[in-house]
This record gives sequence, structure tokens and C-alpha cells, in this order.
Amino acid sequence: MSLERASNGHSRFHGCCSIREFEFLGKLGEGTFGEVYRAKAKKDNSIVALKKILMHNEKDGFPITALREIKLLKLLSHPNILQLKEMAVERGKGEGRKKPTMYMVFPYMEHDLSGLLENPIVHLTEPQIKCYMLQLLEGLRYLHGNCILHRDMKAANLLINNQGILQIADFGLARPYDEPPPQRGKGGGEAKRDYTTLVVTRWYRPPELLLQLRRYTTAIDMWGVGCVFGEMFKGKPILAGNSDLNQAQLIFNLVGTPTEENMPGWTSLPGCEGVKNFGQKPGNLSGVFNELNSTAVSLLGELLRLDWRKRINAMDALRHPYFSTPPLPARPGELPRFDDSHELDRKRFRGQRAAMPPAPAGGSVGIANGEWSTNSGATALADYRQSRIPGAARTASSLGHAIREISSRQGSENRFSNEAHLVRERQELEERNESLKSRHRESGLPPKPPPPIHQPWGLGSSGRLDYDERHERSSQTRLDNRWEGNIDSYVPKYNSMGDHSRDKEDEQSHLRMSRYERKAENPRQMAGRDYHRDHASRRRSRSPHHQEGNRTAAYRR
Amino acid sequence: MAPPAAALSSLSNALATVEQLSSSSSSIDGVAPDLEASIRFAGAQLTQAAGILLRLSQDIIAQAIVTFTRFWAGPEGGSLRIYSVKDVSAAALYMTAKLSFEPTSPRSVLNVYALLLSKEASPLWFVNPRRQDPTDKPAPAPETYYLSEGDYQTQRQVLFRIESVILRTLGFNTHVVLPHTVALTYLQTLGVSTPALANRVFEHLNAGLLSPQLLYLTHQPNALAVAAIYLAAREVNVKLVDSEWWEVFDVDREQLGFLVVGMKSMEGFARAEKVKWETRTVPLVVEDVDAEIERRRMMEEGG
Repeated sequence: MSLERASNGHSRFHGCCSIREFEFLGKLGEGTFGEVYRAKAKKDNSIVALKKILMHNEKDGFPITALREIKLLKLLSHPNILQLKEMAVERGKGEGRKKPTMYMVFPYMEHDLSGLLENPIVHLTEPQIKCYMLQLLEGLRYLHGNCILHRDMKAANLLINNQGILQIADFGLARPYDEPPPQRGKGGGEAKRDYTTLVVTRWYRPPELLLQLRRYTTAIDMWGVGCVFGEMFKGKPILAGNSDLNQAQLIFNLVGTPTEENMPGWTSLPGCEGVKNFGQKPGNLSGVFNELNSTAVSLLGELLRLDWRKRINAMDALRHPYFSTPPLPARPGELPRFDDSHELDRKRFRGQRAAMPPAPAGGSVGIANGEWSTNSGATALADYRQSRIPGAARTASSLGHAIREISSRQGSENRFSNEAHLVRERQELEERNESLKSRHRESGLPPKPPPPIHQPWGLGSSGRLDYDERHERSSQTRLDNRWEGNIDSYVPKYNSMGDHSRDKEDEQSHLRMSRYERKAENPRQMAGRDYHRDHASRRRSRSPHHQEGNRTAAYRR
Repeated sequence: MAPPAAALSSLSNALATVEQLSSSSSSIDGVAPDLEASIRFAGAQLTQAAGILLRLSQDIIAQAIVTFTRFWAGPEGGSLRIYSVKDVSAAALYMTAKLSFEPTSPRSVLNVYALLLSKEASPLWFVNPRRQDPTDKPAPAPETYYLSEGDYQTQRQVLFRIESVILRTLGFNTHVVLPHTVALTYLQTLGVSTPALANRVFEHLNAGLLSPQLLYLTHQPNALAVAAIYLAAREVNVKLVDSEWWEVFDVDREQLGFLVVGMKSMEGFARAEKVKWETRTVPLVVEDVDAEIERRRMMEEGG
């Protein structure tokens, strides 16, 4: 029962608790997103993860993405959704009026699925995989049933504790879904409005998103489940594209190229980076997963269906024969326990030498390869940017990243890193003369794909999202010559009222500032920002139209 | 375990506890209950007026007023002797708009508040009592409500600081469910959804936002909707079914009675407030609240 609720089950409001109610046990992770600590709650001795909310850029006050994520997490209550226990506040110490720091308080989870799979001593048995899959699907059934899109489904965002409980984390990209929830036997249904396509980490991004479908459905999360399902067997991500186009090609190699039969309407989509011709391949799912039995391949095929309308939904997947045929799913309590994998516990493994992570074979993620661009027009600007962003593209997804670091710092961290970051981390490790744990296995993994573009907090303000969205819209306009007010208005856009030149200056100073503040940038964001700045005046003239669209959205809610 | 829909609480609000209703931070700090009610009433109206000038939808404005009202509730809430009503109003509105589909910029918010708080230019009776008959007066000079750049920078910092204070005080509970949509559904269910009736229902629901009884903090949206329908139907002479129809919407007679009385009393309360503050302004900043308390103390001693 959440602390937000009174004994009668009704929710109530009250202030944040003080950080003094927690005993800090050590830092778990650190990154662009902020810092995460392990701590003990004094009132009940429970172990928690405290995630500090960074207040870098205050152009818009409290970070909107954090605000949204908190609001959403507070509404959610399900055993397979990471629970936001409460908010804690640390008041500024000493003299001066130092701003208080806010922390999100989560239950402590020992692992994330990504880190667990990287551990060479961990080999998931089929009953275990079924157990985790059931929990994942239960969590998604709850989310989708309550009309919420997660939009960043991936192994690294699935936390697992030593009781075998799996929880979905990181709601930094989640948003309410304006359509009816999925129905039995009807897949994800149809969407009637547009959403932004710049969501979901590339390796887990479904084909319809890669082809720029804007009216997507809960089926986008189900594709990610399919990727995770395969990953549990293979021990590594199954579709590790090094660009969006490459991602699409890998998908079509695995499940076949799109046709009007297997993906109706695909030809009318804008296409992936302008490419709409993918040749003709039959796909080879059962060949690639030849170690799987037929019911497993059947479920995988249902999840990795190109046609998003027919892709299986969570409630149907839960009834798939896979879960009722032997070997039956394990119960969470029966699962083996593994040691925590965050850096605190590294001490216990001292002297145990493990291979250093090699630099990613493909070079750094993103900028060096020019791999970020999904939208036409971004590349030129990004090239221009390239010289100006040292060590560019290390991006972090929000909560999942934070919590993931809790459970497996080394593995996932490196996979997410660019070269520069790897070097830095390696130096750090060597300086401490500490080995990575033996489980740490990096070989053969391609560089982590850039996470979705809408970077939640830690990386910035709503203003920044604003730019991305605008840029994205403009690209979209160029692609299909349409401009609708009713696109994903979840990302804030100021109306033009009261704006005048000063705001523009603000934005520009914000641009300047953020360049210093953000150690790492997603190049597309940078490109988007510049675009925005160049076209600030144009935007303003359009604003009334936007607002009207937004209004419609607000009413519809 | 509660079913998902209930757990998601998309149709219910966080309500104030008995303790939060029986005492407030302001009363602990020596603000008389009637003064507190007056200030809160003015602050809620200020929020409503600012929302209209910012062209926000009533959906957002109403949520902001609920957040504003929650902020002052209970001994752990905000005190009128520490936080200025005008700042909390602005920050609640700014934050609610930010979370919505219609965000607005800090500058717009502060410009609007500069106008509404101007003793010369404000159209609000509790800020500018003299301007109640604007017909024969010249329009106020723009200088009287101009927000200088320096003031903007300072007040923007205040806006953000108070935003954080609100979030902290409410434990980040920014979720507000309004009864308006539910009310429309109920009207349709009852087969009486005429524009006149719906209009009157909304008037009661919007007036209820300003209630000194904090109706939105004590009752769930379904109860507010039912009470507004009950009252409005009587006022516009629409006959509802004979049975105890409110039971269908999970509202019992006692709740309904309390709410109907509360909503009905709003008009009288508003009139009384206007008379009470006919010649003076309602204190909307901490210093003025302090001065008003001091003035009352002197009157008492002198009297």
C-alpha cells in the first residue's frame, strides 16, 4: 500500500518527507541524469534507492519531465510497476538560501534484466524466462489497460529483485494514450491521433515507428516485449541496429520484408530515412531461434509481427499456450538469487580479475557515425555541430538509466556509453585497481543505440523538448507536407501570448547555457535546437494554430 | 488488491484529512479564520482571473485553484504569514499549465499578475476597490501595470521557488480530477442534458472552487457533480426522476445535503465578502497580512 493512501484506501496529500528519515548507505550510480543512492528508511528499515532530481536549468522552473513522470508514477500501483514510494526533500544546509534538493524514493531492486543477461554465470532457464515474461506482460496489461504508453520498453528498464519480482521502470517517456485500451483478440487497436515518433530506444523500436507511423498504439510496447523475449534466450539484444535504417533492415531480415499482406498500409508511411524499398526477404525467425520450441517461436512471432494492428496485445499474450505448456513458468520465489551488481558490491569481488570492456567495435554511438538521423535535414546541422560538442553523444534515459545503474553499473553503463566515456570509466577503474566483476562481459556487443530523443530530466528543461518537438514537426512537414495542430501536444509549447523579444533572448541564453551544462548531447537535439532558434519568428506566427490544436487535445482528455 | 481502475485513481482526488481541515498553518500563525477565508477566496478568484487573461481553459484554471487551495490546508500546509497568496496563485497556475497541454511562459504569467495586482489598473474588486465603476474613468496608464525587466527577473525566481515549495508541500501530488465531465455524463444518464441545466451545473461547480468550505478538498468529483446537478435542476425547474437517483452515483443523502448547502451558500458568502472589503483591499502579500493582523489587534485593544 502506497504511502499516498490512507487506511481506507483513499489517497491523501501531504508534504514530502525529510531526507533525514533515510540513512545513506552509499552512492549507487552517477551520470548525466543525476545521482542515485542506496539508503535505509529509518521508519521501517527498508532499503531504498534515492534518485536526486537535478535542477540544472531553471528556465522553466521544476523540470517538466520529472513532474510528469512523478505524476504518472503516483497514479500507478501494480506489483510489476516500479513504485514511487514517496518524495524526499533535503533542505539546504548552513547559511544562505540554498535551494532544497528533491529525491525520488524507490524500493531497492538488485538487478535490471539487461545487466542480468550480461552476467555470464546467469543462464535463464525456460521456466525463469516464462516467469519474467508473465510479470512483464502483467505489468503492461495494467499500463495499457489504463491507457498509458510506456514508450521505452527495453531490458535495461526492467528491474528484478532477488525475490524474482520483475518491475517496469522509467516512465520518462510515458504518456497517456487517448484511445480505448486494447481488447481481447484485437491487438493494439487503432489510434486516432498523432504522437511523436521519437520514442523508444532504437534496438527496441518497432517497424512502424521506424517507418514514421504517427498514429501508433500500445502495440509499440509489445514489439519491445518481443525484443526482450528474444534477448532472454540469446543473452544479448537481438536487433542491435547501428542506425535507424540498419535497424529496419535487421528487423526485415529477421521477420521478413513488409508487404501489403503482412503490414497493410506500410507503403503509405513516410519510410525510414526516406527509404521505402527494402527488397523481398522471407524472414527467418524460426531459423534464428532454432533452439526454441514451437510455442515459444509462435509467441515470439506474435510479438514481432510487422502489422501493428495484428500484433498480439498483453492480455492475449498472457493466454498464449506458451505459458501453459511444459516446462511451466517458475514462481518468482523459486528463481535463483544473484549477487547485486552495482559498484558498491564490487569490493567483494576484489582480486577477481575480469576482462576490461573493449571499446565498442563500431566506434562511438551517434555522432561519429552520423547514425542518429532519422529525419531528413538534421544531418547537415549535426555535422556542423559535431566540431562543437566534445564527446558528444552520451545520452541517458531517465529513470531506467538511473535505476539500471543501481543494479548493474558496469555492464549497462558501458553499453550505453560512447568511446570517450568508456575511456574515462576505464581509467577510473584502473586507478582504483579494481577489477570488474567476472560477470562483466562486453565482448561482441555493438554500441548502445541512442535512446529516444525526448530526453527526460537530468538532461534538461521542457524548453529543450520543445525544440526537439518542433524540429521533429518541421522535419515531418517536409516529409509529408502536412502540419497538424493536433500532433503530440504532450510536449509543451508556449503559446505566443505575452511573448516578445526577451523570451527569444532567454531561449538563446538557455541554448548557450545548456551547451555547457550538458556534458553530452544527443546530436539530433542539438540540431533541433538550432533549427528552432533559426525559425523562432516563424514559429510564433504559427502559434495560434498550435494553441487551437492543443485546446482540442485538452478537451478531449 | 483494488482493481486497476480504482488503483489508478483517475476518477478520484486526494482529499484533506480531518486534521488538515481542523487546523491550518495560517491559523497556527495567528491568522483569524475569517481573514484566512477572505484571503483564500480572493486568491482563488485571482487565479481564475489570471487564467482567463492567459486564455487557459477552465479545466486548467480549476485544477490550479484546487492545487492552490490544497496548499494552504492543514498544519503542514503553507502559511499566509510565510507565503504570499499572489505568488502561490501564480505558481499554481504556471505549474498546472505546464503539466497540461496548454503551457504558458513565465513572462506571460507575470505580466498578467502585474496587471491584476496593480492598485490602479486591476479590474479585481479586492485589489482595486475604486475601479468598480470604470465607465467614467480614463483607462489606467500603462505605467501602472508595467512589469520592468528587473522586476521580471526577480519575480521569475520567486515563481520558480514557490513552484518548488508547492510541490514539496503537496508531496508532488499534482493530480486533480474535476467533476465537470462526470457531471455531463450524469446529466446524460439522467436524460436531462439541456444547455440551460448544464450551464447552471457548471456555474455551481466553478463557484464551488471558491468555497470557504473547501468543497473540492472534502468531496470526490462524483459527489460534487451530483450536488451541482441536484441544485441546478431545482433552480431551472428541471424535473429529475423521483427515486433517490444520487445513490446510483455512489453519493449518499448526507453528503448530498452537505454539498447542496455548501454550494447554495456561495452566493451569500461572495456578497458578504464584497461588502466586508468594500473600502479596503484584501491582503495578498505577507506584509499586508501582517499589517491587517496588527490593525485588528489595535482595533481590539482600542475598542
